[in-house]
Amino acid sequence: MPVAPKKIKLAAGDGTLAVEWSDGHLSAYPYRYLRDHCPCATCGESGGAPHTDPGPFPILGQKPLRPERAELVGRYALQIFWSDNHSSGIYGFDYLRELCPCAECRTRSSDPKVESL
Amino acid sequence: MPNKISAQDVLNALRSVQDPDLRRDIVSLGFVKDLEVGDSRVVFTIQLTTPACPVRDQMAAAARQAVEALGVRDVQVRMTSQVVSASTGRNQLIPQVKNTVAVASGKGGVGKSTVAANLAIALHRAGAKVGLMDTDVYGPSVPTLMGGSSPPHVVEGKLEPPVEYGIKIISMAYFLPKDEAVIWRGPMLHKTIQQFLGEVRWGDLDYLIMDLPPGTGDIQLSLAQTIPLTGAVIVSTPQDLALTVASKAIAMFKKLNVPILGLIENMSYHVCSQCGHREDIFGHGGAREAANRLACPFLGEIPLDVNVRIQSDNGKPVALDDATLYGKAFQEIAGALAAQISIAGYRVDQGISIE
Repeated sequence: MPVAPKKIKLAAGDGTLAVEWSDGHLSAYPYRYLRDHCPCATCGESGGAPHTDPGPFPILGQKPLRPERAELVGRYALQIFWSDNHSSGIYGFDYLRELCPCAECRTRSSDPKVESL
Repeated sequence: MPNKISAQDVLNALRSVQDPDLRRDIVSLGFVKDLEVGDSRVVFTIQLTTPACPVRDQMAAAARQAVEALGVRDVQVRMTSQVVSASTGRNQLIPQVKNTVAVASGKGGVGKSTVAANLAIALHRAGAKVGLMDTDVYGPSVPTLMGGSSPPHVVEGKLEPPVEYGIKIISMAYFLPKDEAVIWRGPMLHKTIQQFLGEVRWGDLDYLIMDLPPGTGDIQLSLAQTIPLTGAVIVSTPQDLALTVASKAIAMFKKLNVPILGLIENMSYHVCSQCGHREDIFGHGGAREAANRLACPFLGEIPLDVNVRIQSDNGKPVALDDATLYGKAFQEIAGALAAQISIAGYRVDQGISIE
């Protein structure tokens, strides 16, 4: 079976969403980073800048960004409902794992010529 | 005269009986229940994970022999079953349905609906509670195959599915006049899937068999997104062409993390009803090879027989009569499918928790 999350913590502290994976790996995604990588078509269209849906009272300014809730999509993805009213992003588990910003994952995905220490 | 036998002695003896699919002994699997040890009499129940267990009789015999070997003369074995749910996570729309099985194919015309309907019947005849959801809104054929004419009616705001041959059925065909076509784009299809799942009174089911339309489109995706499917069964004919397209359906399910419960080769060979001559009209064995190559289970072969078509057209699915060649084929395939679902049920983790 491909690697999948075992536990997801929406408020893991320091403004991050944490994922405990089935292979034991731990990921911590800063909210802004995760939101900026929303895979939905509307965000993709805005050419990198994520699409924000204004709430009913835009004059009150924006709430601090955080994931208000999340739901599983079938057996393969997570749908995040953000505080900026955006929720059309369906983060496939493999995409989510690719996004992991930890040092170990970053070195593996960058220059393949980098030798291990 | 043997020494007094204890319950522990019986359990130890029963540890020699293995479930061949789950590869563990029936005591550590928790199958042995209601054990009563009398002076010269032992009574117990073996609770299997499905009523369609293909090795049920062998297991009962092995258990009886194991206890008789202790010197007990009167051994009573009762076989029951409780279907294990093999779905990860929460199945919010249909929480009382234990297992959802999508019956898919790459190409059309391989007999997917016939296979789905007959699989449902074979599982039900083995003792399971079964539902059949016809999601092919463009070409809904399930009510014809099952001889159904009575439409669903509304009970307490939800649809009560009609029952044919003991199986609860929902299909687009119930909602459309016969010659009308469904000419819809994606969002309507998605809505239909959500309604077929959430607004139908399926009740407690062991298996919900879903007949998909051919291909890898909106309906397949909607299903895989709306519920955590237990798994998919792929139907193909033996030809390379059908298999090439079937492998696309397999690739799609793999991408969506839906387990492939197995491949079925339909129209596997033809046996002449007059002289018994066997002819491999569409080739033979291709699906078994594909299953080996793709590391999927192979569930079985169904022969091509004119009676399958005649009875389907008459609304009398062939699986009703397991004395025939094809009736037996469906019975065996249903058993193999139930075994795969049980295996999947023992492999599944607790599910994914979100907090």
